[in-house]
Formats: sequence, C-alpha cells, structure tokens
Amino acid sequence: MKPFNHVNATSLAEARTALADGKTTIIAGGTDLLGTLKDNILRTYPSTVINIKTIPGLDYIREEKGMVRIGATTRLADIAADPTIQKKYTALAQAASRVATPHVREMGTIGGNIAQLHRCWYFRKPENRFDCKRKGGSKCYAMSGDNRYHSIFGVQGGCIAVNPSDTAPALIALDAKVVTDRRTIEAENFFDVKKPANTVLEKDEIIKEIRIPEPPKGAKSAFIKFAFRKSIDFPIVNCAVMVGGKNPRIALNAVAPKPYRAVKAEEVVAGKSIKKLNEKLAEAAGEAAVSDARPLKAAKFKVQIAKTLVKRAILSLKA
Amino acid sequence: MADLAGVNGQRKNFRVVGKPNLPGRLSYGIATGVAKYGADYVFPDMLEAKFLRSPYANAKITSMDTSNAMKIPGVVDIVTWEDDDMKKLAAGGGFMGPPEPFLTNWVDQEGGIIGAIVVAENEDVCEEALRQLTRDSKWEVLPHVVDILEGRKPDAPVIQPPVPKPKGGFGGFGMGGNNPPKQGNVSFSNVNAGDVEAGFRDADHILECDANTPSFAGHIPNPIGSAAMWYDDLYHGKGKSLRIEGNAWGYDQVAGMYRIPSEKVFEECMLVGGRYCDWGIRKSQLVTPLLSKRTGRPVRCVNSRYDQYDFNLNQRYIHLKVGFKKNGLITAIDDYSIADQGVKGSSSFGTSMDQTYGPYFTTRCQNVKQSMDMVDSNRGKMWLSGQHNPMNWDAITVAILMIADKLGKDPIEIARLNVHGPTSQTDPDPVPSLEACIDAAKKMMNWKWHATGEKKLKDGRMHGLSFRYNQCPRHSVSGYNTKLELRNGVVHMDSRGPVIGNYIMEANMMVVAEELGLNYEDIKGKLDHHEIFKPWGGGSDGTTASGWVLKECANKLKKMILEAAVEEANNPPAPSGFGGFGFGAKQAPNPFKGANPEDLDMQDGKVVFKNDPGKGLPLAQAVKANLFATYSGRPPAALWTHQGKQLDTMNVAMCEVAVDTETGKVEILRFGVVADPGKVMRRTSLESQIQQVMFFSEGCQLFEEFIYDKKTGVRLSTNMFEYKKPTIMDHAPVDTELLETRAGNACYGANGISHSLANTHLVIAAIYNAIGKWVDPPATPDKVLKALGKA
Repeated sequence: MKPFNHVNATSLAEARTALADGKTTIIAGGTDLLGTLKDNILRTYPSTVINIKTIPGLDYIREEKGMVRIGATTRLADIAADPTIQKKYTALAQAASRVATPHVREMGTIGGNIAQLHRCWYFRKPENRFDCKRKGGSKCYAMSGDNRYHSIFGVQGGCIAVNPSDTAPALIALDAKVVTDRRTIEAENFFDVKKPANTVLEKDEIIKEIRIPEPPKGAKSAFIKFAFRKSIDFPIVNCAVMVGGKNPRIALNAVAPKPYRAVKAEEVVAGKSIKKLNEKLAEAAGEAAVSDARPLKAAKFKVQIAKTLVKRAILSLKA
Repeated sequence: MADLAGVNGQRKNFRVVGKPNLPGRLSYGIATGVAKYGADYVFPDMLEAKFLRSPYANAKITSMDTSNAMKIPGVVDIVTWEDDDMKKLAAGGGFMGPPEPFLTNWVDQEGGIIGAIVVAENEDVCEEALRQLTRDSKWEVLPHVVDILEGRKPDAPVIQPPVPKPKGGFGGFGMGGNNPPKQGNVSFSNVNAGDVEAGFRDADHILECDANTPSFAGHIPNPIGSAAMWYDDLYHGKGKSLRIEGNAWGYDQVAGMYRIPSEKVFEECMLVGGRYCDWGIRKSQLVTPLLSKRTGRPVRCVNSRYDQYDFNLNQRYIHLKVGFKKNGLITAIDDYSIADQGVKGSSSFGTSMDQTYGPYFTTRCQNVKQSMDMVDSNRGKMWLSGQHNPMNWDAITVAILMIADKLGKDPIEIARLNVHGPTSQTDPDPVPSLEACIDAAKKMMNWKWHATGEKKLKDGRMHGLSFRYNQCPRHSVSGYNTKLELRNGVVHMDSRGPVIGNYIMEANMMVVAEELGLNYEDIKGKLDHHEIFKPWGGGSDGTTASGWVLKECANKLKKMILEAAVEEANNPPAPSGFGGFGFGAKQAPNPFKGANPEDLDMQDGKVVFKNDPGKGLPLAQAVKANLFATYSGRPPAALWTHQGKQLDTMNVAMCEVAVDTETGKVEILRFGVVADPGKVMRRTSLESQIQQVMFFSEGCQLFEEFIYDKKTGVRLSTNMFEYKKPTIMDHAPVDTELLETRAGNACYGANGISHSLANTHLVIAAIYNAIGKWVDPPATPDKVLKALGKA
C-alpha cells in the first residue's frame, strides 16, 4: 500500500473541507476502500484518508414520525440485529445480515455499503492492469472478455459491471431516502455510473443518514440473495420486494451497473394483498422482472436466477 | 499382506496407538496463535525484498533501467538477472529446487517472477520501486496459451523453447516409452495394455463420455517466504554462519546453494503451515541469504497470497470409451485426454504420471489404452502433486456410473463386479478390505440407490447419489534413519524439523510408547533442524513407514534397556556427583539381580518380570545409564508400486446432493467415507485428513475455478472473492468410519490414506444421478442451468 495521511474528522464540516482538495477520500468501515488502495486499482491514489467514524452522532437507529432513521456510519451488523428493522423493515435487516462475512458486517457501514465501487475482475485487477472506461480508459475489457457475472440489462456509461450492494435493493424496495450534508435523494435515484463512482454524490458530498418510511399497511418486505457460497460472496443476483400494498416495489441488484427497479414485475402484483399472492402470480412477476433483460451469452444464466429470486421473494412474504 | 517383516507387526493389544486427540508438539503454539512461521520472523534492522512479477502471461524483458528505482528513498538494493551475484547463484541442491537459472529475463505466467529483486526498507517501498522497474523495462510481449484446446492446434504459437524434459525424480514419473516427438506445444504419452480392439469386439455395449477435470489451487494459507541474516559465530569456525527462517525443508538446499557447511546454517522456525504434498521450495525461501550478504543487513522476502495460486490439479479434458458385457463387466477402456502441462518446471502429477498409477489396473479389464496430449501453457504451475489421487480416478468413477446407468444397476454392484482380487488382475476373489468398506458405507449412508432423475426432495430439489472406490495401499517410498535415546530415565525421540503441518512425529511417538510400554506423554520429542531423523515422507503414508522403522528402533532400545537393568542390578553403578556422599536413604534390593534380560519386559512405565508384572521398578530407577539405539531402513515396498494390479487396503466414498433446478445451485447434503488404513495410528490425523480431502473435493467440484482473460492471459480469479474456496459454512457434513483390516505392510499392517480420497467427480456423478446431465466441474449454477437448457 502507498503511504497516505490519516485524519480523524470531528465534524462533517471538517470532512467536507478536507474533501475539497480532490486528493482526499472518506473512510468509514474501510472494507471496500482499503481493498482498492491495497490493490492499487485506480489511476489516482489519495494523499489523505479522512475517517468519518469519529464524527459524533452519525451512528444510530431511531424510529420516529413514521419512519426509521439510520446514521450513515451505523454498522451493518447493528442494522441486521435491530429488532425494529427486523420487524418492520425486514428486507433491510435480511440484506444487512447477508453482506459478506461477520467480520465485514462488524466493520462495514450502511453508508459505505451503498457507496461501494462495483465488482468487475477487470476493474479490480491489481496495479490498474486494465485501465477501463470506468477509470477514464478507452474500453470495457469485460465486454469482449469474461463477463459471466456482469450486467444482464445492458451497458451504462460504457460499462457492464454490476453494482454489488446488498442493501441497495432493500432500500429501493422500502422507498428509502438518502440524506447527505446538502440534499435528500430518493434511494432509487442515488445510484449512478461515474468514473469510477457508483453514486450521484459530488466529490465533497457526504452521506449523513438513511430514512425509511414505515411500510404501507398490509405490505411486507423481504430480501433474497443468490451467491455461490454461503458467506463472503458478493451477489450473483439479489432481490428485495415490498408487496401487499397499493404500490409494490421490487428491486434487483448485481444485474446492471445500477440497482434495477423491476417496474413491470411491480405491475403484476400491484394491489394484491399478501394473502392473494400465489405461485402463478409470483412466477408471472418473475418473468416480467426480466422481460427487458439483454444478457451477453455468458451471463444468460443470471436471467433465470433473477426471475426465480423475484418469485421466491414474493412467495416468502406468505410465510 | 500384513506387517510380517517387522517386530510385533502382528501385535494384538494397543494401549497408545490408535488413540485420538493426543496433542502434538506444535499444537499449543498453533492453537494459541503464538506459533511463528517463516514470514513472522523479524530481525533487528531488517530489510524487505520483493521479486518483480510480470503483468504479462508470456514475455521477455529486453532491457531494464534500474536507476530511477534506485533513487526512490528507502531502496537499498536491486538485483537483476544480469548481476554476477545472481548468475553465480547455484540453484537446486534438494528435491524440487527451483529450475536453473535462478532469475531470468523470461516469464511464462502472469504474476511469475522475472528479471529483478528489490530490497528496501519496507514492502511499500519495494512495491513502489517495482512499479518503477515495470515502467523502466522494455517488455517483449510474447504470444500466450491459456486455453489448452487452442494451444494444441498446429497453428498455435509455440510458447516454450525446445528443451528436453527431465526424466526420473519427482517431476518425471511418466511412462515415457515410444511416444511421438513433441509437436508444437504438445508432448505425448501413450500407455497401452492388452488388445483394446479385441476388448471392444467382445463388448455387448460401448459407451463414450467426457469427464473433464478442472484445475484448482492448492492455496497454501501461510505466505511463503524466508528471513535471513549472516553473523559471526564463535563455535563453528571461520566464516559467518547463516540464520534462515522459513526454509521449509531444512538447511540442505540453502547450504548447497550458498556453499557453506550445513553445520553453519541455523533455523529456529519449525512451522511450515498447511499444504498438501506441495514440496516445492519457492524462490522467496532461497534468495534472502544472497540479499542479506549483498546489503550486510537481515533481509526478509515473503510472497503475497496473489503469488501463491499454484495448481493442486491440472486441467484435463478426458474422453472415455468403455466396452462392457451385459452384466457390466468391462472389456476395454480407451482413455484419451488433453492435459495442461502448465508452465516450465511443472511436475508430471496430473499428466503422464496419472497413466501409471491410475485406476484401470484395479479392474479385471486388461485391455486398456491411455493416450494423452500434454499441452504447454501459460496458465500456471503444478509444483508437485495435488490433493487428488491424481491418477485419473475420476474416469473410473464416471465409467462405473455410466455402466450402472445404462444397465439400470447400482454402481456398487458394477464396481464389485469389476475390481479384481487381491493378488492379480485375474484373481477372482473379492478384496476383503473393499467388501468391508462397502458394507460399512452402505450402512452408514443408509444407501438406497435410485435411478437417474427419479428422486425429488420435499423442497422440490432433485436428489442425487454417488459412489466411488479407491485404493489406499500407500506408504512412503523413503527410508529412515531413526534414533532413540534413554536419557536420565526418559526416552527421547528427537526429530528433524520443520514439520509440514501434520503429526507424523506424534504418530511415531505413539509407536515408540507402545513398544516400550510407556505412555505417549512419557516420550519426549524435540524438533531440531540438525537432527538426522526426518519422520516425514508424505502425510499418513510417511507416518506408517517411519512408524515401522521406529518400531524396529524401539525394540532395539528395549533390548538395551532390559540388558542394562540386569547389568545395573548385578553391578550397581557408582553414585556420582554431589548425590554420591551416601547421605540418602538405603536403597531397596534390586529385584533384577541375577535375572535374565529375556525374562523381563516393559509395562506401564516400568521394567517388570514377564511372569510377574507386579514385580519391577520404574524405568528411571531400573536403568541409570544413558542408552542410544539407532535403526536405518524401511518397510517392504507398498503395494502402491504395483500400480493397482495387487490390492490390499481400500476406501470408499459416497455423496448425496440436492440440485435446485430453478437456480442451478447444488448443495452437498452429506459425504460418507469409510477408509481402511489397515491400522489406525493417530486417529485424529486420519479423520482430519478425510475432512480436508472432502473439503477440497467440494471446492473443486462446486466452486473453485481459475478464470483467465483469454486475450491477455491474465488470471482474473486470484483473490478470495473470485477464487471461491468453500467457506466453513459451505462444508458439507462428512461421516467417517475407519476400519482396521491390518492388511497393509507398513507399521502394524497400516497403510496411508493420502492421495486416495479426493475425487473430482464424486459430486459431479451425484449431480448426474439427480438431473441426468453431465456438468463439468466446478458445477457452478451457470453450468447446471445450461445443462438443463435454462441458460
């Protein structure tokens, strides 16, 4: 790893000021950032890493006024274990509990999990071996290389890598909002395909809080992750659903450069109570969810998995 | 067979041998984390070193400018392939030493060592300097081969210079013979027995299938490296002595390379870390003395995990054609395979050696044709052997299942029909060990064979079963020089370290305790790298062979002890030192006075009379003299050397899987293993070895995969996310039973079980039984769904 300065921030203002130089980056849990630094995967290297875990008041889970508020540096393990999240915002608790490993969940934060960089073995190859489009290069190496785990919903920003966050689809399904130090963003609109970032955040913008409204009456949520191994792995596909109300929400991730909201699947189950959900309906929702998929040959299997996950996530609500 | 050649080979009662959970010499350190491996050593004022590694799969450096890198603050030294010191460095000197020359300007693997070594104040500075050297070198990027099917084509670029392959030694077990000359990247190995065409004419059915084996990584968990320093030595004569830590197999190779007497090389570290039969010494373990000499400071050089994705098994495409009678008796086998020969210096395990020690000669079929195209590649290195019985047991597993499937029979029935008797391929008798293993395994697994695609579980997943047999007739081919010492009334069995992550020494101590009527805890075992006795020789194989030799040695010592007990009773030794002034209490009469040594025995820590075991003295009282016994030798050759044409101890494994046909996910519900090691020496070692092997089996059949970018030859799966070793949560339950037929010919009738349990097709065969489709390992969901027509 190259040397860098490490600063413990005491306030958001201090962190924001530090970020203004363009050579500073934020660290919270560090579970993604340290890997990128150690492997030296990017064109640029920060001269300073500013730690926001030391900022007071960014680590909390509070239920108030029909919503739950989660501080940006709240650890994933705490979210997974929180009784309120488990009961009312089930998809998020389930998603947080399936992130990586117990060690990572003890370190990783909700803010970091939604802001992490994408997974692509070309992008992540040490020493910037493949200077791809997401780094400012001229080509996407995965497009003509091995892309078996890549997007099934086409290219965005010249990239077919996928967003790997487990909590992102849960937040979208739960209709959450991301509050930064300068604005409030619908979770669905929070994600982007930049060089190399995965969010709409400005370079000096900091996530403060996640707000999730209480699910509508009669609605329940669930999250399912499909990965090869029972621990460690990033998703091949994951899926979160909130169904049972008038406006169901269904989101998939690891299927596109940004989390994918399966609107056509939502239409299938719109207005259906949990009681009325059945195999046929869930299967139709699954088919609808992938109706716009355009997978490359090697990633075709992900379509089958995605539609199965949508079906199973919906049916799991009946349990 | 049995241990007829040695003393007490037919022993009936065991007090120590076979016990589980006796702690090892290094157990405390490993369990508590205080153990220090080579990479953990830190010397005062120590520098770090790192090799330049290639970003290309096949490349030469035509020139290198080191001046910019040398200017980086903290860089102390840069050695290149052109330095005289490097040219003079004598490589080799021990088995599986690095190939000559030590450092070159050519590399045939992405991530392979090439051209230069940087020595700096810390690893970060090393890396910065290496980046600079990468930029300041002129690279000639050469064509590469990472797809062996492409690499064997006539128009494929030839990637290796035409050098003769070594014969013999650990790298050259291949059959050789009258093979065609190498063409392009392809070497050939053909082994034929009997009349294959006649065998097919005699067959009622002929089946063909592909049984492809994946490459998978040994994945040594401990970073491999060494730390070295030279120092003035008061006691070992002129010239500096060398201290080197992390040199896995002791001083021999380093002493040879640096041309110093072995008594001037010292090593404290006795821990090597887990690895499976990868005896290869990495260059990071050998280069530090040179760098330390050049810089005048201690130097450490440690590989990263990225640097250690070496093969535990080569990739291989097998096309199998089998002829058989209506009852399932095989009449002819035609095995054609295309195997990855890997980068320069790869061993022949997984390629031509498989033809020698494969499964076919365990069958009654004597018409066997084995043809192999071995393709040079830029994929990676097979260092020595892997955690498979490499030897192609996958193919016979598949063949038996295919025949069973065709005839609607249980594969166990087909296996029983085809495995020959104990003495030869024409022996009509069953093998008692195999019969016992099968009976026990069927009971253990409540074996109820069902036809392919016939059983659905309550949760909707398809259920599959599989079975395979194997032989475990191995023990080490090594000889041993053993030494036991009675010192101040205590028996010492000092051994040479480092040890290779297993418990051979402990198993040997159990044998010594057994033979001397002592407890395990009574035997003191010190690890010292200058000792002569090396207990290792390969996993449980070594245990059984070195145990046999120590059994002989222990009985020599026992004879000396009994003789000394009588001698000291008849002629009490004069008291010595300050204890000899006669102030102590009066000694009781010695019961052995006038006795005959042959009338004595050793039991429960005492020297006693055979006919009156209640009468005797504790060992330390009975014998004051210090005694040494030595024994050099080895047990009779194992049946392993007969290549399966004779059989003694066997093992079987079974597997149950559930296949989710909607997602392609395969879950191993359970493994069942019944192994007959002949005689259980150290139960814990055998059980854990079985666990480990099944762990490897599930990894290579479900998850692990070397993935390459075909355009560049760069490996894409060299981290723990992309290279998917199973986690402990993925590890399937393994039911284990050990039988003791005493049919082996090493210690007490024992044989080893290593290299005889893993099988890359046990799970694959169970998947076939579940869904009726062959899926190449690793059976990842994409492949399963594709096989099912869903992707």
